[in-house]
Amino acid sequence: MKALFFAALVIYAAAVVLQFSGTAFKKDALLRASWYVFLAAFALHTVFLAARGVAAKRLPLSNQFEFANAFAWGVALMVIVLKIRLKADWLCAAGMPAALLVMGYAAMQPMEIHDLMPALRSAWFGVHIGSAVLSYSSFVIAGVCGLRWLMAEKKGGEKRVLDQMDYLGYRMIAFGFLMLTVVILSGAIWAEQAWSAFWTWDPKEVWALITWIIYAVYLHLRLRRARRGAFTAWYAVVSVPVVFFTFAGVNTLMHGLHTYG
Amino acid sequence: MKKLFSFLRSMRFGVLLLALIGLCSVAGTVIPQGREIAWYAQTYRSFHAAILLLRLHRVFESWYFIALILLLCVNLSLCSLTRIRSVTRAAKNEGDRAAALPDQKLLTSEGLAVLRAHMEAMRCREEKRGGVTLWRKNGFGRYGTFVTHLSILLTVVFGALALYTPTTEDHDIMPGETLTLEDGTQIRIDSFRLTDETGRLDYESTAEITLPDGRSSGVVPIRVNHPVSFGSYKLFQQSFGTAGSITVTDLAGGGSDEFLLTETSFLTADGRSGLWYEVLYPDYIRAPSGEVTLITLTEGSYPNPIYQVLVVSGEEYTPTLAVPGDTLEVFGLRFTFNEPVEYPGIRVKHVSRLFNGLLVAAFTLMILGLYLTFFCEPVLVKTDESGYAVAGPRPERMRIELENLLEEYAIEAKPSP
Repeated sequence: MKALFFAALVIYAAAVVLQFSGTAFKKDALLRASWYVFLAAFALHTVFLAARGVAAKRLPLSNQFEFANAFAWGVALMVIVLKIRLKADWLCAAGMPAALLVMGYAAMQPMEIHDLMPALRSAWFGVHIGSAVLSYSSFVIAGVCGLRWLMAEKKGGEKRVLDQMDYLGYRMIAFGFLMLTVVILSGAIWAEQAWSAFWTWDPKEVWALITWIIYAVYLHLRLRRARRGAFTAWYAVVSVPVVFFTFAGVNTLMHGLHTYG
Repeated sequence: MKKLFSFLRSMRFGVLLLALIGLCSVAGTVIPQGREIAWYAQTYRSFHAAILLLRLHRVFESWYFIALILLLCVNLSLCSLTRIRSVTRAAKNEGDRAAALPDQKLLTSEGLAVLRAHMEAMRCREEKRGGVTLWRKNGFGRYGTFVTHLSILLTVVFGALALYTPTTEDHDIMPGETLTLEDGTQIRIDSFRLTDETGRLDYESTAEITLPDGRSSGVVPIRVNHPVSFGSYKLFQQSFGTAGSITVTDLAGGGSDEFLLTETSFLTADGRSGLWYEVLYPDYIRAPSGEVTLITLTEGSYPNPIYQVLVVSGEEYTPTLAVPGDTLEVFGLRFTFNEPVEYPGIRVKHVSRLFNGLLVAAFTLMILGLYLTFFCEPVLVKTDESGYAVAGPRPERMRIELENLLEEYAIEAKPSP
């Protein structure tokens, strides 16, 4: 099964190389090829995800590897959905490498399948962690939109396209914020069942709250029209490392109730 | 006073409070919380005085953190009140204002047909007013931000009540034993078992709760993630342990007692001679020479338990190892070593169901509020025979959507008012 994962990883990398080459040499054929290769990688990745779930007899979301793998899948899924639905071709140049980066992080984690520990055996498992995957993926895509806005603006991009990038970034943050709220609230209800308290100030809980606060501030600041554009683009980009810290940094550097491996 | 009120309810103040709460939270995770003072002195050396002075070792219980949360509550209350007033007022004559708007984009007749088809596909309500058409949808979405802010306020209030009003006690209760709480409620552990040898997979107790008025829960299972609620109590399967079991028989009198031991104990009749129970090891390896190596690093059940005891005879102490089934006779007492007994660690929480229920209701309200805010944005578009204008409380989405849709049909663009 590992072969499936690494095959998907290599094909994602090929899609990114084609994407960069197509952008650098302004070759549409390369960009088109990059898109189809990316779709193939995503299909393989989906098969791996399903196979892992079948082998583990549960949702494959229980440890750092499985979460990172699902996170990369979420980013790739959003790139595909948004490109098809909104014809946002500009998303690929930064969205594909983002999926590859998260996938690369997953490749560095131990991949063994373990049985779920008692604290994780709950109906809330899928809701809590599934919404975290969607939330973090949305924030990464928002960061990608911000990055593309900054690059497009530097090249004197058309206002209509810039507005579209800025608005898509906002929508992704709005969706991610809703999902992060589901993560925190479902986590609170689950914590009360498993550990007897809704909130324990565990580092993971606190960093989820910090991430929530950061994006709540974004949503408020964006209400002022003058702040839309460069400010919100930078904000979305700079916030992505916080999301990564909440996801990976807390588990690596801080000890708490969420340290599952 | 008016200025202060205006500041307290302002978004700027709310954002400032959120930023400060975020900063305190960062400090609260970077500096380990709730350790002994000596630990901070040793770890942070010259900085420890500042840490203690600023209460950075107990950030989430500090006066300034609580003050920030209280101020956030004030901000949310005032903001919710003013928001509902302004939103309701704006909704009253919104249609009239939209109808009076000049066209923001002029369209070809083909463009107008595309626009009409799009609004119909979006299932917008069509309303004729004067010479113009208003397309409306999701009017209730305007209350999304109000519902969200209110639900955050309720979450903070009910969350504090649900977090700080319950009392919690942890008890190790041996199977067959009954724990009597202060109010007379009795908790009897009927049985306990580990699902697998390691104890990592699952463990389960069965227990019976009897309230002071005599009502009983019956024997019910308690597992991790599956607590049992009865009366105002909630029982959680928190941990487990293994106790040594020794039966002591008085060889002269014939009576006997079984002792379940979790810590060092002296079993004696005269206070001088008897058996010191020291510890129970989960496993051991016996070499062909007879030498025994004790193993401590085993989790879950004890595959080959072995007792380490001291036989005490006056001033003489003789270290001895014993396995289940062994017996020792010391000064008229017979000590029989039994198979160890696994027991649960039960957390007993005295809860208010009302606060818990209200908190969960506030959670639901928050999800609903956010959904209304971001996914039920009010749509209000005015069209006439020459073009269209986007109105309503949050016009951005429709403005971008229509600009993209109608780009090729626009015959003249006017700047947005």
